[in-house]
Amino acid sequence: MEPGLILIPFLVAVLVSWLPGETARRWAHWGIAGVMLALFIWVLALLPTIQAQGPIVLSYTWVEEFDLSVDLYIDGLAALFALLITGIGAGVFLYAGYYLQDDPRKMRFYALLSAFTGSMLGVVLSGNVLLLFICWELTSIFSFTLIGFDGKNQAARAAASQALVITGGGGLALLVGLILLGSASGSFSFSEILSQNLSEHPWYAGITILIMLGSFTKSAQFPFHFWLPGGMTAPTPASAFLHSATMVKAGIYLLARMSPTLADGGLWVTGLTTVGLITMLLGAFTAIRQRDLKGLLAYATVSWLGTLVFLLGLPHGEGYVAAMVGIIGHALYKSPLFMVAGAVDHATGTRIIDKLGGLRKKMPGAAATAILAGLSMAGIIPLLGFVAKEVLLESTLESHNTLFLIAVVASASLTVAAVLIFVWDVFFRPAAAKHEAHDAHEAHDAHHGHASSPLMLVGPGLIAAAGLVTALGLEQLIEPLVALASPGEVSLYLFHGFNTAFMLSLTAVALGVVIFLTRRIWLGWSLTTPLTGTKAYYGFMRGLNGAGDFVLRSQSGKLSHYLAIMLGVVGVLLILPASQYLGSTNLTFTFNGSSDFMKAVLLVLSIAAIIASIRFKGHLLAALALGVAGYAVGGIFLLEPGPDVAMVQILVETLAAVLVIVMLSRISESKRKKAADAIWGSGKNILRRDILVSVLVGLGVGAFAIAAVVNRPMRDTTVPDWYLNNAGQVGVTDVVGAMITDFRGADTMIEIIVFAMAAMGVLTVLYLTRQKTEKSSFQVPASLSQISTPLTRLAATLLLPVAMVIALAHLLYAGSAPGDGFTAGVVGGISVALWYQVFGYGGKRLRRLRPELLIGIGIMLAILNAVAPLLSGGAFLQHNDFGDVPLPAGLHFTSTTLFEIAIFLTVFGSVITMINAITNPEGIEEL
Amino acid sequence: MSILFAVATGIMFGLGIFQLLRRDLVKAAMGFYTLFTAVNLFMLAAGAFDGEVPAYTDQLANGQPSDPVVQGLLLTAIVISLGSYCLILGLVNVSANRFESVDSHEVDQLKG
Repeated sequence: MEPGLILIPFLVAVLVSWLPGETARRWAHWGIAGVMLALFIWVLALLPTIQAQGPIVLSYTWVEEFDLSVDLYIDGLAALFALLITGIGAGVFLYAGYYLQDDPRKMRFYALLSAFTGSMLGVVLSGNVLLLFICWELTSIFSFTLIGFDGKNQAARAAASQALVITGGGGLALLVGLILLGSASGSFSFSEILSQNLSEHPWYAGITILIMLGSFTKSAQFPFHFWLPGGMTAPTPASAFLHSATMVKAGIYLLARMSPTLADGGLWVTGLTTVGLITMLLGAFTAIRQRDLKGLLAYATVSWLGTLVFLLGLPHGEGYVAAMVGIIGHALYKSPLFMVAGAVDHATGTRIIDKLGGLRKKMPGAAATAILAGLSMAGIIPLLGFVAKEVLLESTLESHNTLFLIAVVASASLTVAAVLIFVWDVFFRPAAAKHEAHDAHEAHDAHHGHASSPLMLVGPGLIAAAGLVTALGLEQLIEPLVALASPGEVSLYLFHGFNTAFMLSLTAVALGVVIFLTRRIWLGWSLTTPLTGTKAYYGFMRGLNGAGDFVLRSQSGKLSHYLAIMLGVVGVLLILPASQYLGSTNLTFTFNGSSDFMKAVLLVLSIAAIIASIRFKGHLLAALALGVAGYAVGGIFLLEPGPDVAMVQILVETLAAVLVIVMLSRISESKRKKAADAIWGSGKNILRRDILVSVLVGLGVGAFAIAAVVNRPMRDTTVPDWYLNNAGQVGVTDVVGAMITDFRGADTMIEIIVFAMAAMGVLTVLYLTRQKTEKSSFQVPASLSQISTPLTRLAATLLLPVAMVIALAHLLYAGSAPGDGFTAGVVGGISVALWYQVFGYGGKRLRRLRPELLIGIGIMLAILNAVAPLLSGGAFLQHNDFGDVPLPAGLHFTSTTLFEIAIFLTVFGSVITMINAITNPEGIEEL
Repeated sequence: MSILFAVATGIMFGLGIFQLLRRDLVKAAMGFYTLFTAVNLFMLAAGAFDGEVPAYTDQLANGQPSDPVVQGLLLTAIVISLGSYCLILGLVNVSANRFESVDSHEVDQLKG
């Protein structure tokens, strides 16, 4: 009793793809058929338990937190379907091995078919609706791969997508239906759902319609029937399996499964009988007009599926038993017929009825199988198909509906005619236009026809024989199974005597013969329908594509448009909660002393400078204005008072301005001017839109900022005070420095790595897009060359060492004075930038500066400094005091000093990398 | 006073957004930088208290020191904003080289 057993077909699917060796591959289908047979026996062995103790419920907890479990629910209905799937599956695999004997893709086919079998078993055995849905979708997906197995054939691809779209679309409806069902009944598990009758529930109509949609699409009911004949592009073994015994029966299974819960409602009865009858007649009428053997069988299948739906829809479960018998009977005759059609195709290279004939002598085995299965399909005693037709007619009689009766008899007659066409025209009728066919035949043999192994017909033969055996042993073999799957008492007889049903059955056979004999007359009639399902489907798909094109047209591809839309939304989202929050806060404004006055002035200055940077058309001026704003903010930092931050801000601002200016010199003036002119030339509406978005976001952020600063925990100074009181422990007086290099050292470590990565990013993007033609020809642009005068050259030469000394001072005395590794790195970087501006890249003196090496050493040092204490049993980044060093004076060397050096090296290296990359991408050496 | 900072943050942010929406990619990059500045300013304003002396342990006796927490965060934030700015400038440069334009409307190969 292992729920994992349903995974076996999937396991087989995986294993079979890896099967090595030609011999193993040649006999693989026997192995898989054996596995199927073993599963068949497993299910068979469960039957006594089900009979004695009722449904077997197995549960395996999957995700405990979500209360999600894999449940199996095996009752008579599930067992009946499982037996069909595994039994027919075994026969189909045997057949497939010979059908695809020389096909190099056969292992793939086995794998897909096996996985499909597993999904189908999952559908019928699953114990909760969610697992059922997952398996249901899996069958859709695997049938897609099987129908489109011949992927190079355009028709196969189209048919596969059509089947997937239709069954998948139905699957979506089903999902909603099943979720509603689960909510309505309070449980997703069948053992709970089936004990309830929801026909009075307010959601009954919704649930029923959605579940019907799922079933109808899957079981090819009108108006979704057209995908099934299209699905005939699948290799014949797949057709025999999917379109007779499994895939299309999934919908029937679901309807049968749900009937205890839903069948009492009027909607169920009306919907199922109406759709079932239409499908039944439509399928039967279309089947006899098909000239393709598989097409004929496909439409006959559609017709029978309609019959089954009709039976399940009869009120008070009158047709339930007939449906069960019908399911078994149909599976046992339809799959052999498909396989015979495949064998004929295999031997002659064609499936067109008009080109075939007289195959009785050539293929006696196929003829015998076709006769046996065909008699069952036509409903001739003593085959299971006869029993199925008898119970069908009896159930219809019980409903006392003349319309139903006429439709059923008509469809039965048409089915008889279809069987006669299949058996007689292919095997017995003298081959039409013999002399012509003979030549064609020779050619076919050369091109398409294959010598078939006699073993090919073992599978279909056995299944067809089962149709006879089960009918003869009806009371022992079929009756108990059907009884187990049905709610009420069941008694089946092979022959009921000459009652009304039998007379109607005889009438149908006679009518069928008449229809068959007059086929030359009605085949000439042309019947065209203005709107077929396929046309509607393609129309729908075209509409979908059109809608996609329409949506695509709304995409302007213009960055600023997208940004405006996104930022506008952000602004609205920000402003609503922030303003709500503001309404409940108490705004008090304090303004004390000259320090606050100075801050206010600097704020106004920085805002004015930013406005100027917007207004200036020239990029150079705008960059300078932005620099002014940055310096003003630096001043504010200084007034905080935060000298370390202010120093970094001012240096960074300087470097940023230098970089922008250098970069601008790299982009031709005309390009920039064109873009700059476009700013105001965008049109008034664009401008209004941008102003609106900016104001929205500005208001939102402003409201958020006010709410944040007003509601901050005033005087709750636990954290700042802790830093202030403990900074002394690490031997520095600069509390901010202590935070950077010690208390929040890990943060800083990551930050320098990020900075180095940004530098590498700049290097990479510019390296990849550098202008190769201009290699090494870059000279200092004319606009900048004016600064290269003797005086500036002298200044640069002097400044470089001086800047290095200043950097060193920042570095070593970081603990007790403003400045630290960051400022040291930026100061060094600026002096190097100045050097390049004055001397250009011709001078090779700074080439020895290897920035990537500096970055590497810096990061390594930072990591080693952090990890080293671990070796002596300390903590990550633990503080270490190395004591006073003799030179330079007053320096107390600790692990924080080492960290500052690491920061300096990384930042310095990164800044030089950025400067190098932006100013001289052509000079980047091979990475 | 901090309310004034908050208002200034909002104004700067709005201006940065306006700049960011320009077709001119150089200006858009500058808009980014303005946003960085606005955020840094906000971070300073969010400190727990306004100080009278710098946050140095030998200055504690001379008055209320400034909040070291926001400064520690700011220091890294400023350096990172420089790195981001450089990366954005690099990308603008790429656009100029590859698409022969710094007008974002002419860089239309991004359209699907």
